[in-house]
Amino acid sequence: MSTAKPMTERTLTGTGATPRSDVGTVVWYSTSTDLPDPDSVSVDPEDERERFKDARETARDELEAERERTAERVGEQEAEVFDAHVQFLEDPQIEDGVERAIDDGLPAENAVKRAFDDPIEQFEGMDGQMAERADDLRDVRDRLVRLLTDGDRVDLGALPEGSVVLADRLTPSDTAQLDPDRVAGFATVTGGRTSHAAIFARSLALPAVVGVGDELRDVEADASVVVDGEEGALVVDPSDERRKTAQATQDVTIHEEPVTTADGTDIEIAANVGQPAELEGAKAQGADGIGLYRTEFLFLDRERAPDEAEQYDAYRDALETFPDGRVVVRTLDIGGDKPIPYLDLPDEENPFLGERGIRRSLGPDADLFETQLRALFRAAADAEGSLSIMFPVVATPEELTAALETVDTVAETLEEEGVDYAVPELGVMIETPGAVFAASELAEQVDFLSIGTNDLTQYIMAAARENERVTELRDPRRPAVLRAISRTIEAAHENDAWVGMCGEMAGDPELTELLVGLGLDELSMSGVTVPDVKATVQSIDIETATEHASQVLEETTRDHVIDRIQHRNTNQ
Amino acid sequence: MSTERTITIVPEAGLHARPAAKFVKAVNAHESDVQVGHADEDDLIAAGSMIAVTSLGAEASEEVRLVADGPDEEATLDALERVLTTPEDEIADVDS
Repeated sequence: MSTAKPMTERTLTGTGATPRSDVGTVVWYSTSTDLPDPDSVSVDPEDERERFKDARETARDELEAERERTAERVGEQEAEVFDAHVQFLEDPQIEDGVERAIDDGLPAENAVKRAFDDPIEQFEGMDGQMAERADDLRDVRDRLVRLLTDGDRVDLGALPEGSVVLADRLTPSDTAQLDPDRVAGFATVTGGRTSHAAIFARSLALPAVVGVGDELRDVEADASVVVDGEEGALVVDPSDERRKTAQATQDVTIHEEPVTTADGTDIEIAANVGQPAELEGAKAQGADGIGLYRTEFLFLDRERAPDEAEQYDAYRDALETFPDGRVVVRTLDIGGDKPIPYLDLPDEENPFLGERGIRRSLGPDADLFETQLRALFRAAADAEGSLSIMFPVVATPEELTAALETVDTVAETLEEEGVDYAVPELGVMIETPGAVFAASELAEQVDFLSIGTNDLTQYIMAAARENERVTELRDPRRPAVLRAISRTIEAAHENDAWVGMCGEMAGDPELTELLVGLGLDELSMSGVTVPDVKATVQSIDIETATEHASQVLEETTRDHVIDRIQHRNTNQ
Repeated sequence: MSTERTITIVPEAGLHARPAAKFVKAVNAHESDVQVGHADEDDLIAAGSMIAVTSLGAEASEEVRLVADGPDEEATLDALERVLTTPEDEIADVDS
């Protein structure tokens, strides 16, 4: 046959990291390289020593450049890991090991591998933070091996436009180099929704699929692929039709300005962020501000708590990213489910029902709470944007009263010290059934409420967030959850407080009309869903939406709720 | 001849991560050969090796013994003392 057989589309599945798709050409970025069989090559030790020294010098230059870039794009704290890498790179123990292995007749790349084996094993055998140094050593080793094995290796910072990067995994050093304007997306063998690479992709709205597994390795360079971050699929040799749908999702219109409903009601559309790197991404997607700034990242993966100055800088950065918008910072929500070496966290049987959020801030972490408030009050006075603070996991009005007393104490201390400060807008995150039933008493004391539907749903339905057996129950479209939301909104408005929502539910455009109809003033979501929700808001008529919401509230089963919402959406 | 000095570690992280990187960098910026060990033990390890220094596992408020041998012993020890006695949040300002 002379005609080429049409290629058949092949789909690999993994975990979608972003609801975005695009089509592009595969570029393989190898982090683990197959080394030559040392017996099959004969090398001149002089040459190999020279190659090692060159590679080490290039590695140092790369590390310094990445340090700069990371300090600029992410933060000084994150950049400092590269200082440790430089010291490991130049370690005399490694140098001796490499020299010896080269003297034994090994090529430089094999010599590097051998020299790192012992120290990596040594650190792996140690506890806690020492074991993490093994990862640092592996990163440094892989960098050297990569430089030695691949003369024309892929430079992530200078990929052809429309590249889809495939890799075993992408480290922070790797993603720091990726240019989101040129890369169409990426897919990795390992990783989950919360892996570094997935978070990075979400913050920049880059199509990405992680955790595809070993079969990803069979995809060849230069193949044409669709990265479907919504379905969690990598489609190799896609059909024309598949290709078109992928590109269509790229045509997203960004609404930079705040939007109103068709009849002119302001609805604030904000983004949830959990990493400083996500701030710019949220802005690029057109978020009006930040509706949930999780502060846990400041406290995790480190050996002691961040001090006031470091926190002040972080909050100020967030405020200055949105000079015309509002940034809602949630005070530290930490409990027994997160390992933090410097906090004496109890080993609880069920940390989600244990000492977390405001309970710790009013108890064992009172000092941290005060430091955090000091940093926030100072940032509120110095930065341009408008700050709001909310307290997590409140279950009783007494807890809120106690938190507000701490606010007063901190303000008085700053006043006495003559430091510039401002007490910003204050609010409560509504995520416990207790808070729903006390919503009036809470709203009366603060400026706003924000409904955290993920935790609220798990607590109302008694269905744990990570438990797949109860997924059906854990659905915010359950009538019980919708009634809790409605009740909270009414209580807020009766007490002249504004009310927002910051759970996953807020980012689902299918539910936007319902949520606006229920009376929410603000919706806060993952940055990547902002454009869709903003577009949806503009088509909403408040009166119709209110009517729709009251009908949905009358439904008594989840199935009926879903039917009604779907019926409404298809008849738009 | 060599010069010895015993110093109490101030940075809260101990001789790990960032303080360790600063420390090793300071050692290698000087000409003297430096060894370090726990003050209450005889064993010393090469202070110019990030791997060795990190595996020493010296924690905050612990005493370490530094032994310098070379043309700039005092200057080397002074620089290292600065690194080891500067709280971590001020560490960026220490000139090594």
